[in-house]
Amino acid sequence: MDNFMALLEGFSVAMQPMYLLYALGGVLVGTAVGVLPGIGPAMTVALLMPITYSLDPTAAIIVFAGIYYGGMYGGSTTSILLNTPGESASIVTALEGNKMAKAGRGAAALATAAIGSFIAGTVATVLLSFVAPYVAEFAVQIGPTEYVALMIVAFLTVGALLGASVLRGLASLALGLFIALIGVDALTAQQRYTFGNPFLADGIDVVLVAVALFAVGEALYVASRLRHGPVKVIPVAGRWTNWMRKEDWKRSWKPWLRGTFIGFPVGTIPAGGADVATFLSYASERKLAKGERKKQFGKGAIEGVAGPESANNAAAAGVLVPLLTLGIPTTATAAMMLVAFQRYNIQPGPLLFEVEGALVWALIASLYVGNLMLLVLNLPLVGIWVKILQIPRPYLYSGIMVFAAMGAFSVNFTPVDVFVLLVIGVLGFFMRRYGYPIAPMVVGLILGPIFEDQLRRSLAISQGDPTALVSTPIAATIYAVLIVIFALSFWLKKRQKAMESEVADETPVATVELKEGGK
Amino acid sequence: MSSSINEAPGGSGTKAATARPLGELVFAGMIVGVGVVGFIAGAQIPIPPSAGVVGPRVFPFIVSGIMVAIGIGLVIQLLRGHTGAAEEGEDIDPNVKTDWLTVGKLVGFLAIHIALIVPLGWPVAAAVLFFGAAWSLGAKPWWRNAIIAVVLALILQFVFAGLLGVSLPAGFLLEGVEIFNG
Amino acid sequence: MSAVVLGYVPNALGDAAAKAAVDEARQRGATLVVVNTTRADRLVDPTYADDDDMSRLQDTLRTSGVDFTVHHGTSKDTAAEDVLEAAVRHAAELIVIGLRHRTPVGKLIMGSTAQSILLGAACNVLAVKA
Repeated sequence: MDNFMALLEGFSVAMQPMYLLYALGGVLVGTAVGVLPGIGPAMTVALLMPITYSLDPTAAIIVFAGIYYGGMYGGSTTSILLNTPGESASIVTALEGNKMAKAGRGAAALATAAIGSFIAGTVATVLLSFVAPYVAEFAVQIGPTEYVALMIVAFLTVGALLGASVLRGLASLALGLFIALIGVDALTAQQRYTFGNPFLADGIDVVLVAVALFAVGEALYVASRLRHGPVKVIPVAGRWTNWMRKEDWKRSWKPWLRGTFIGFPVGTIPAGGADVATFLSYASERKLAKGERKKQFGKGAIEGVAGPESANNAAAAGVLVPLLTLGIPTTATAAMMLVAFQRYNIQPGPLLFEVEGALVWALIASLYVGNLMLLVLNLPLVGIWVKILQIPRPYLYSGIMVFAAMGAFSVNFTPVDVFVLLVIGVLGFFMRRYGYPIAPMVVGLILGPIFEDQLRRSLAISQGDPTALVSTPIAATIYAVLIVIFALSFWLKKRQKAMESEVADETPVATVELKEGGK
Repeated sequence: MSSSINEAPGGSGTKAATARPLGELVFAGMIVGVGVVGFIAGAQIPIPPSAGVVGPRVFPFIVSGIMVAIGIGLVIQLLRGHTGAAEEGEDIDPNVKTDWLTVGKLVGFLAIHIALIVPLGWPVAAAVLFFGAAWSLGAKPWWRNAIIAVVLALILQFVFAGLLGVSLPAGFLLEGVEIFNG
Repeated sequence: MSAVVLGYVPNALGDAAAKAAVDEARQRGATLVVVNTTRADRLVDPTYADDDDMSRLQDTLRTSGVDFTVHHGTSKDTAAEDVLEAAVRHAAELIVIGLRHRTPVGKLIMGSTAQSILLGAACNVLAVKA
């Protein structure tokens, strides 16, 4: 009951008019960037971080939470109305949703995505409210050795599983760890990799690297192979209250709930991420559909939008569990949220619920509020979001460059930081070009110092004996789980690829194969 | 570090088919290089007597070792013909050749921006950056680019310096204008 | 043979302009040159006619019996430049465009294709109001 009271406390904070306004601003910005091509929630949070210094921590965290949830909603709008290869979590929505839109059912697709996202977001936030405190209670008891194990799990899963190439993901991770080393060692006060440069002695600011990689690197990369040719938006007809027919509700509610309960757990494990959740939901909806409805899959089945979209949002809430209770980010956006906490000297982790209880509960309460706002805003405002898509790309990316430069300058008010932005931005460009994922680098950069600290602590306890790192029962269990996660993920990835290519060809032979494999 | 990656485009602009692995090889080689530098520079980190069993060198050595190992692994992969898949995106056209000129222009304008912040103030530098970037990316007509650049720079200066108190230098042109200074 | 250039946009205003252009072309016994291009610099360009819009327009033009050619596709230049360029190339005696009200701010930010055509044209311009 304690947690429930705390949640009510949180609501009393989040419902203050000022914070409601911040939440509204957050979800609006979040949806806009979700709709816009080329800008993701991670980039937005990174860009806004330096210029939200003047806000108090609660306000800033509420804004970022709004962006986080809003981005998830916005992505589905684009993928339904335009058939664009957007963020990986929306691929499945594009499959069925765009087909629905082409058949004149775009309104229903948008509605089932929005309502499903709302239901999944709300249920998953409830789950988060009740699960997170218990995980935190458990996490308080674990020592540095277990922490090292958990972080190795996070490193390896994020590094090896997020991108297409395992080696490139790990290289990206190592680059992040290396940049994190530059500066003064926290334990012994020795300079490392500073080469006598006083500027490097302060270390390279995480925000600077994040803005450089997510914003400048992206802008340069897009500039290098800018897409030409407009995509026609499919007009959404009718009043939004009539969007869902009775039959649509009947066909949607089960996928919504199934998507929620698939998405949340998948989001909590490091290997998850939203795209695995959406894929799993899509595969299960497809398998469960019978008769006529099964034939609709690939041609615009509403279940194929309702399920994955719910799973997508539920996973987004699930990602917050390890973030808030263990301080371990498993996606790029979660990593940026972690940086946001650190800016205000708040360290997410087991003690967060005790030390910063008020803030955490205000954050969770604002997630409920933001979800409701998103439902109310999204259905009637689709027209406005579509207008945003008319911004010419040159202006969009020039604006991103200016914002990034402003953010970099605001870190310490010196042009040197903007120069670092440029250098790391160029690095980010080449990483994208050569297929190195960005997220592992940011995660490595953020967790690197914490990891080293915990590693040295546990080795100090064991007198330098490295076998102690794997010999405690909990740590050993965590490593065992890691192996299971890896095996599972590789299997899932294979299935996902198989399904994607199969949906692309639409060969009936492959459908039978998937059905048998799933049993 | 930056100079070595900047050299990559110079040698790879001619033939798309053979150039990409070359650029990738340079990049993978750079990862090995950073690892090696990490070892050499890491060995020079002084270990104070107060340091425990695990001093300040251990983790740098681990990271450097990982970089060398992965870098060599990547080089081997590349030599065997396994090249990386360039990132996809909504605004990315996978079928066009890399437009180095535009990338170069953007980098150049960001460099000019950096040089202008102190002498001319942030709004001027920002307007130049936007105008230059929009022009590089092919926005037309130029006068509209200019108007948007100036308006955007002034709005940002007003909102962030004037209202939110972020200390962006207004520059001598706007120094006396109250609303542009925090 | 003389020519009438139509700056087409796929909406009610564009259709009204098309109707006027057909009338003008018929009266003058001129070829109708339809121009609809996009710079393809954005994800959604509502002034660019897709293939469906274009075939619909061509059907209407065919039934009207006027001789016509179509410039349709992506272009490096702005829509106004393309219309003006077509007028020069075909030695047009008239350009027909649709004209709608814009707020001063909107005009400042978005610029006005119509204004550029009005100012840049060497021949008469017929501005159709829907």
